[in-house]
Amino acid sequence: MADTLTGDYRTGLGRGELVVQKCTECARLNMYPRYACPFCQSEELGWQKVSGKGVLLSFTVSRIGAPLGFGDELPYALAVVKLEEGVQLLGRLEADADGDWHGYSCDDPVEFVPEGATGDEARPIAWFRRRG
Amino acid sequence: MTVPTEVHPLAIEPGAPTDPVFVGVGEIPSGRYPDRTFIQSLTQVAVRALRDARMKPADIDTILLIPNLHSADQQADLVFSRMVEELGLNGRAKASFMIHSGGSTSDNAVRVASGLISSGHARNVLVLQAECWGSADLTEMVTMLSYNGIPAQWERPSGLHFNAIGALITQRYMAETGSTPEDMAGVCVALRKWARLNPNAMYRDKDLTVEQVLGSRMISDPLHAMECPMLADGGVGFVMTTHEDAQRRGQDSVRIVGSGGCVSHYSIGQETNLATLGWKTAAERAYAQSGWGPESADFVEIYDSYAAVTTIALEGLGFCKPGEGARWVSSGATGPGGELPMNTNGGLLSAGHTGVGGGTALLAEGVRQLLGRAEPERQVAKHDRALVGGSGGSYMDSQVLLLEHVRTGN
Repeated sequence: MADTLTGDYRTGLGRGELVVQKCTECARLNMYPRYACPFCQSEELGWQKVSGKGVLLSFTVSRIGAPLGFGDELPYALAVVKLEEGVQLLGRLEADADGDWHGYSCDDPVEFVPEGATGDEARPIAWFRRRG
Repeated sequence: MTVPTEVHPLAIEPGAPTDPVFVGVGEIPSGRYPDRTFIQSLTQVAVRALRDARMKPADIDTILLIPNLHSADQQADLVFSRMVEELGLNGRAKASFMIHSGGSTSDNAVRVASGLISSGHARNVLVLQAECWGSADLTEMVTMLSYNGIPAQWERPSGLHFNAIGALITQRYMAETGSTPEDMAGVCVALRKWARLNPNAMYRDKDLTVEQVLGSRMISDPLHAMECPMLADGGVGFVMTTHEDAQRRGQDSVRIVGSGGCVSHYSIGQETNLATLGWKTAAERAYAQSGWGPESADFVEIYDSYAAVTTIALEGLGFCKPGEGARWVSSGATGPGGELPMNTNGGLLSAGHTGVGGGTALLAEGVRQLLGRAEPERQVAKHDRALVGGSGGSYMDSQVLLLEHVRTGN
């Protein structure tokens, strides 16, 4: 169910781009997208493609107990990522080659995975993976 | 982010006739009680709180309801004044309504009740809470806990749920403080020691060791099963009135010296300080209003649905050095006989997570301890001043109430 906020964000994910909301008046970025700029209250808001580079503020591997509809995906990792542009968001974290996430630590550099949400069946979420 | 603290004193003087005070609490045991219905629970806590306050239902003019989460249908019973009818107050009650901010509701209910009482809009207020989480359908409750407080547009599609929120905070806290899994498990063990002394606690009959906690299954790294709160049935009620009325009845009471709060986020993905949350700001505001400092409280009751959310609060409130919360609690400093008794009912982690009621149970325990009415083996020796801390949603807010025992004749 897309609305005026989620539509452009999800369309961006679908073409492999991470976009964040940008105020057309004060030019500041904000996440999550809002109906009015939290800095200047302008309702004229657009979008900016971001680098996708960031650091892992925190992460967790959900192993037992998932919301309805997510049970088949266990285990999966959730991450709070701070982008180098300054805004942050919750997304999914790719496992390492061993299929687990034991190698990750807080503050690790990560990057957006462009192909993470491009399939027809993909959930509209940002995926991240280890960087550098 | 540093938010300046304005000194904003309470508008009411201690001992003023309309100074709002607590005069009674009532509680039923937490755990799994499938034969105990919701309305029965509410009635029982109302009757017990009124008895403790030496009042009759007819003395109450305003009922404030703290919401349940097990059923929206039953919550509507609260919203639409069922408890007025159950207590025989048809026509007598002036107002009955609900207040809701999740786990911090009790703190906000106290603020609302205080405002009503000190302004004269209410005289005697009965606050009621009951929850049937322990007996409700687990799948439904887990689904509800992956919806409430999690933004549908931005976070639900990722499969976020409440244990994962607790885990994201715990992971960052451990990274910033160097707290080990043993330190975190030790917090749960410390809480259990209090629960063993509380006849209303879900885990009153079970000891707990660090080995047991770390040996339990990993739920959401780094949280093991025994570090996640157990959903429970339970209920709490309390009565607030004016200082004048308490004195007239010859009752000890508990007054509110000040409060502080900080709503730091809505979405966990937008919390910029996952290892500190809003506690430092909330503490500064509460201390600025009251003139108290961390040395003022004889004991504390702080929201503890996960170990880290409590140790973060302890640090922000200045009770221990930054980063030392988990090690400090694990050392026994906050347990029975410790230097700062904390969560003397066992907390949410060991008394049971009764939804919005977990914080209410901690508040009621604080009032009970201040009034000297806990069971002798659990009663803290010095009970003049207490700090109560709450948090709701995805730890969206940090709420502080500073409470003081008022003896008859004062």
